[in-house]
Amino acid sequence: MSSFDAGAHLGDALSALLDDELPVAQAAQARAHVAECPTCAHELAAVTQARAWVRALPPVEPPFGFYARMLDDRLPVTAAVGPRFDLRRRAAVAALGAAAAAVTVLGIGSPAARPVSPTVPRLVEAHATSASVGADLLSKLAPMGVPVSFGR
Amino acid sequence: MSGSGVPTWEDVAREHGRFLYTVAYRLTGNSDDAQDLVQEVLLKVRRGLETYRPGSMEGWLSRITTNTFLDEARRRRRRPLDLLPEEPDRVLPPQPGADIALAAEALPDDVQDALRQLPEEYRAAVVLCDVIGLSYQEIGESLDVPVGTVRSRIHRGRAVLRKVLE
Repeated sequence: MSSFDAGAHLGDALSALLDDELPVAQAAQARAHVAECPTCAHELAAVTQARAWVRALPPVEPPFGFYARMLDDRLPVTAAVGPRFDLRRRAAVAALGAAAAAVTVLGIGSPAARPVSPTVPRLVEAHATSASVGADLLSKLAPMGVPVSFGR
Repeated sequence: MSGSGVPTWEDVAREHGRFLYTVAYRLTGNSDDAQDLVQEVLLKVRRGLETYRPGSMEGWLSRITTNTFLDEARRRRRRPLDLLPEEPDRVLPPQPGADIALAAEALPDDVQDALRQLPEEYRAAVVLCDVIGLSYQEIGESLDVPVGTVRSRIHRGRAVLRKVLE
């Protein structure tokens, strides 16, 4: 577009004007139009405000340990793009395991402190390993138990 | 960076993790979806599905992230573009003489909520322009659309944002 239609409002050229995306001659023409047109002046003010709000959005910190977990675990290269990798669920499994271990250490709910077979660490390891293969086990499990073999 | 000059996903995670997560969060609007999106992007990098052209690493990551987001959005389209009015003036009724307080502030959470209300194509254009700071030309190349389309999406997106937040 080499020039604006006489009498027409500027529409999306207003954002282009705001973003310095108009050629110099068109920008001058657009400014002259805005100076005379309350509708376009209002619209320019509105998109200027909207742009300022979005530009003021701060950077967002990823959840603590998010990348560290991926770097530790390594991404499963064979996983399909699209389906989720369930790292958060894996983290949840690990958290559940840690909680179970804490319960054991503290003896909560186990006044007789009998030995557990299999041991909690092995149970946690087995669950975490099962979850790490990529299947959405955790959501399918609850409230069922995990079929894990300890026959080795 | 690997010997071939192509960034590895570990490089991306270590050196651009915060930037990548910010883009993903602004596009998706919540932490869970942002994490999923980041993981998909890193997997694409890992599998070499995206061609790296030496230049702006953040521009490259933005393109992958935005297109991955839009691909997912198209798969589960919930808000077709044709629900939006065609003319910006119908989004933002002209109010000659109205006094818009340019100094008015909006809370980041409110702005993020308003972003989420935009159709994904508009949101992507606004994020690429106003969060990342790409030019219209770069946005057009990223999204594979003409510059005129970029301009229209940005303008309409901003008009809707202003309407939602007023």
